[in-house]
Amino acid sequence: MIKVDNISFSYTSKPFIENMSFSVAKGEIFGFLGPSGAGKSTLQKILTGLILNYTGSATVGDTEVKHRRNSFYENIGVDFEFPSLYEKLSARQNLEFFGSLYTKAIRKTDTLLEAVGLHNDGNKKVGEFSKGMKSRLNFIKALIHNPDILFLDEPTSGLDPANARTMKNIILEEKRRGTTVILTTHNMQDATELCDRVAFIVDGKIKALDSPHRLIMSKGAVKLVYSYIENGSERTSECFLKETAQDKKLGELIKTGKILTIHSCEPTLSDIFMQVTGRELE
Amino acid sequence: MRALKLITSDIRFQYKYGFYLLYAVFTVFYIFLLRLIPEEWKKTVVAVLIYSDPAAMGLFFMGAIILLEKSQRVLDSIAVSPVKVGEYIAAKVASLGFIGVLVGVIIAMTAKTGNLLLTLCGVILASVLFSLLGIIIAVKIKSLNQFVIATVPFLLILTAFPVLTLFYDFGEYVVLHPGVSAIRLIIGGEDNNAVHILVLLFWIILAWMICHSAVKKAFLALGGVKL
Repeated sequence: MIKVDNISFSYTSKPFIENMSFSVAKGEIFGFLGPSGAGKSTLQKILTGLILNYTGSATVGDTEVKHRRNSFYENIGVDFEFPSLYEKLSARQNLEFFGSLYTKAIRKTDTLLEAVGLHNDGNKKVGEFSKGMKSRLNFIKALIHNPDILFLDEPTSGLDPANARTMKNIILEEKRRGTTVILTTHNMQDATELCDRVAFIVDGKIKALDSPHRLIMSKGAVKLVYSYIENGSERTSECFLKETAQDKKLGELIKTGKILTIHSCEPTLSDIFMQVTGRELE
Repeated sequence: MRALKLITSDIRFQYKYGFYLLYAVFTVFYIFLLRLIPEEWKKTVVAVLIYSDPAAMGLFFMGAIILLEKSQRVLDSIAVSPVKVGEYIAAKVASLGFIGVLVGVIIAMTAKTGNLLLTLCGVILASVLFSLLGIIIAVKIKSLNQFVIATVPFLLILTAFPVLTLFYDFGEYVVLHPGVSAIRLIIGGEDNNAVHILVLLFWIILAWMICHSAVKKAFLALGGVKL
């Protein structure tokens, strides 16, 4: 669905995006992960046709983005990080207006509003909405024309856990419908939960690209944490899972049945990101 | 079809932001004012009034309209929609032109000073030109203050000078000035009406080309890059 081949782009004489290549299959949720200024948003702008003077090839659908025409946007939905809504119009009027810009049939506004819990606020002016309500409305605005490819920029930013859960469920539902989703985020929990594959982007380059699970497991950093009583007080110790057999203390505790608790402890995607890139996300 | 939807949407936004109420009040005020003007001055005053307000409103209000779209980031969503640059411009020009023509015609009909058809023609062409100039300026600026400052030279050249030509003779080539041609059409016609229309069409085509390029650059600049 998306094929990026050796693209480079620069705002100045210094390269900003450098020799980047990857592809995204239809129905895949693909995450761009990286700290602020890493090049994630620039990459999204290239793929959405807002930056055209890149070198290399970026194909979205069957279109080379730099040669896109306006019909290119019939099948693309973009949810920007910040709301882009008419504040004087109601939620329903905003959806109807943006839906009217497309030639294809649009989704029912009531169904979309209900999906994100805004069904009772459809006739309220957006100017009266809270930040979270605007984020939810902005999100369903990107879905109004039933796009084949969805670009989401920090979709759960500023949402309470319940609404973030609702949004993530809708994203997974979109995937089940066959929509390709590009998720730009620095929220590792969202990426781990939603993405089939993620690309770690730092300094305009892809430092790693794989499924969150494989990235976590491939580094072999899974630990075993166990607790036991020694000299009358509880103590905790740990070892790498692959070195369990070599941990003499653990072996002795197992033999004598003195272990209180034992569990494996996987690193988070955030830990792996730091390990691979040497940078923190936040 | 999409252009028509954009026009009706823009008219709805302008209505919601009080443009129609504002111009209803202005129209009543202008009509009342014209009743106080001596008959021998009325024709000139009506022309100056129509030219400098309803016809030129695109230059005044385009800044507010586009800055509002910028501040609410709706231009970002429009830039990644199938809307063509030409459709976006046409909707802005037509929607403001609609209210401008409506007000201009009401004033002209009430004053009964000249050829209504030529007045209508002058208002439409002047309105298109002013709106295009308004868009060109509005997409390049970041604040209303900047817009007001940037429009001053245009106001002087496009409104003050043509009004002066009603009172002083600046020679025959002055009709090449779009404002002069517009105000002479609005006043109800004289000789060279075809020339006035051609002059205005020439300036409109030129302004459209510049406007199209400016809006296209502005849409792409939403991607963070100036080309």
